[in-house]
Amino acid sequence: MNIKKIIIILSVALFTWSGCADFLEREPDTILSDDQVFGDAVMIKSVLANFYGRITWGQHIDDSYPYTILDEASKSDGGPDTRQGFEDDRWRVYDYTLLRNLNQFLKGVRETKVLDIATQKQLEGEARFIRAWLYFNMGRGLGGMPIVGDEVFEYATGMDITVLQYPRSTEAALYDYIISECEAIKDFLPVDKSVNAARATKWAALMLKARAAVYAGSIANYNNKMAQPIKTAGGEVGIPANLAQGYYQTALAAAEEVISSGKYELQLTKPDDRGRNFYEALSVKENNKEVIWARDYKYPGQTNGFTQSNIPASHAEDIDRAYAGPILNLVEDFEYINDRNGEIKTKDANGNYIFYDKAEDAFENKDPRLWGTVIYPGAIFKGTPVVLQAGQKYLEGGVWKFRTSEPGGRDNNKILITSVNGPTTTNNQFVNKSGFFFRKFMDETPSASTRGRRSDMWFPRFRYAEAVMIAAEAAFELNQPGKALTYINQIRSRAGIQPLASVTFNDIVREYRVEFAFEDHRYWDLKRWRLADKIWNGVQNDPDAQQWALFPYLVSDPGNPNNGKWVFDKIATHMSPNPRYFEMKNYYNFIHQDWVNNNPKIVKNPYQ
Amino acid sequence: MKKYKYILLFVIVAFTATSCGLDNYDAPQSRLHGKITYNGEALGLRGTGQAVRLQLYQDGYQLRDNIEVFVGQDGTFEALLFDGEYKLVTRDRNGPWVNTRDTIVVNLKGATEVEVPVTPFFTIDNENMTLSGSIMNAKFNVNKIVNTANIDYITLLVSKTSFVDDATNIARKDFKGLQAGSQNLSLDMSGNANVASAKALFARVGVRAVGADQAIYSGVVRLK
Repeated sequence: MNIKKIIIILSVALFTWSGCADFLEREPDTILSDDQVFGDAVMIKSVLANFYGRITWGQHIDDSYPYTILDEASKSDGGPDTRQGFEDDRWRVYDYTLLRNLNQFLKGVRETKVLDIATQKQLEGEARFIRAWLYFNMGRGLGGMPIVGDEVFEYATGMDITVLQYPRSTEAALYDYIISECEAIKDFLPVDKSVNAARATKWAALMLKARAAVYAGSIANYNNKMAQPIKTAGGEVGIPANLAQGYYQTALAAAEEVISSGKYELQLTKPDDRGRNFYEALSVKENNKEVIWARDYKYPGQTNGFTQSNIPASHAEDIDRAYAGPILNLVEDFEYINDRNGEIKTKDANGNYIFYDKAEDAFENKDPRLWGTVIYPGAIFKGTPVVLQAGQKYLEGGVWKFRTSEPGGRDNNKILITSVNGPTTTNNQFVNKSGFFFRKFMDETPSASTRGRRSDMWFPRFRYAEAVMIAAEAAFELNQPGKALTYINQIRSRAGIQPLASVTFNDIVREYRVEFAFEDHRYWDLKRWRLADKIWNGVQNDPDAQQWALFPYLVSDPGNPNNGKWVFDKIATHMSPNPRYFEMKNYYNFIHQDWVNNNPKIVKNPYQ
Repeated sequence: MKKYKYILLFVIVAFTATSCGLDNYDAPQSRLHGKITYNGEALGLRGTGQAVRLQLYQDGYQLRDNIEVFVGQDGTFEALLFDGEYKLVTRDRNGPWVNTRDTIVVNLKGATEVEVPVTPFFTIDNENMTLSGSIMNAKFNVNKIVNTANIDYITLLVSKTSFVDDATNIARKDFKGLQAGSQNLSLDMSGNANVASAKALFARVGVRAVGADQAIYSGVVRLK
């Protein structure tokens, strides 16, 4: 009897204890081993998707504020922004964590047995493309940075850490590495377009190659033309002038490879409505023929707030609206169809107002790309006009005076005084202060501006027009003016403006500015051409460095022959009272002291 | 029983008396005071936006972080530090002078004065700024110190506070293509609403050398 009891107790104990052991030994379900990840094709793809989500740097549509710090747009939200200069770490990218993850991924993909060769090659190509893109984004801010190849670094206690410390590469070597990586992987990548241009293709790799080469070429060229070229003794910053030629040739060849592929084109589906056509070439994904690589968004889950933040009040679907608006500086850089001086004509030679029957008449015959880039006073958005009216003007004692009201206010005759859209010079939220709204990247989908839905507008990183512009720029710098002219005129004829008879450097600068507004080009372009310190010179009321607004007024003066017409005032925006001041130290981001402390081989940048 | 009381008292005293001293330092007390000079004269600089800086390094520590020292518009700087040996250097290419990064060793013990001698590209002297109506007239001398230097621009600046430089001003006019020597320039501020409404006006002139990241300035003169 006793023995039986003991056996029962023992067996009960045995079962309960062994149950526990199982519980403690189960596999974690949130940490996956390399074998688990790289033993499953779906898992491999999700790791890659994660990388695509970590590579949006610089100016982009998920953050509206950085649009207002250059000379493209101004803040409309709340009170003035006293910004004048640029931070030492403005758009600085230093992501060796991502780099290590990419190299881990590369190792796993190369060793995995679950993929067919073609997929394996494609994934390797995409990872290396993303890695090259990362280096490019680091390099354009910081100059040459340590190139670590495919190595996955591991640290074990007690090891000599100096073997993990790589010195900075030269700026030229970094661009060379990006160029050679793009060349090496281009045939690993698909030739066909990816869905919504979200994944890398051969053409994206060639675009990165072309852009890296033209950046390197212009740094080699224009840095050495400065009174005091910016460089370090070891070449971490600054590229020798004699390399310019080679880089421009690489850029031209890569751009022409994209151009001759026939996969993409300067989209022209609505030749009768060039403004609309330009908008759709950039901001509509369906059947797009122009965009080569984009940060795609998808509802639900992956959405951005650009439309929600910046939609005009009259068209808003939620409480958010009018965070920022484009400025006159940009609008006037758009030419007229047959006149290269893009100035908006507000006064005649004698200083008297020019009266327009409708507000939008002031923009008649402007480059149609203006319509596709900004919403100007009276322009149509989603089927109805966007009324921008600062106030009413009336003549009193021979002097034009104006009255304003709260947004949406009307006078005794029920005539609008100040539009609900603004522009105003108050510090109120949600009302425009610059006279223009964004159109490029504004989503026309219903409820795209609500907090509940937001927008799945994409953000193109490379598009065919850039291949054409890089070809034009490189050909120009290589002293092939005929070729440069052909390419720049392709851009201009798609836009719908007169062709050029000859091409100058300033023509190229201007064409980039208007074609690629809000596409994260302007800051980097002015930096590589070493123009930033000249254009953003910090001088109060300078036509370029100061932000300017255009205020439309309705003439409301019964008896006056111009009653009911429109006049315009150009004023410095009160939202950005200080002119932009790009100092010499801003050409390269500062190296963070912590990086030097961790790796004494890293040298600092000039002016630091 | 009394024994325990004594032990308790001892423990309390021991804890209160010792716990503070070990890991808390007194705040630094030694004042380093200095100026950036040419021929013993302090230089006029931009004093806003952390534009002109010096760097202090101290050897013997694991990290190499430098202490940033910000220079004011009268060319002086100040830092509160611990006693010890420091190395003072200018920042690479920062300032309206020839870029030299020679180390100045500073032995700090109590209040210490230090001079940082530099060779500016240009200097300004004999400045005389006057206001007549809304026009500012400025007479001054620009001396070329470095033979190879060229003037990028000469600038007249007016501000409503005594901080005046190329980034802090309400009226500014740049003159290009001028040579060193005596200058007689004017700035018309009629129609400038900020100037009209200002209770006080301060003026300064500056010269920027080609390739330099900063201009050098005269002293500040009160106009109004």
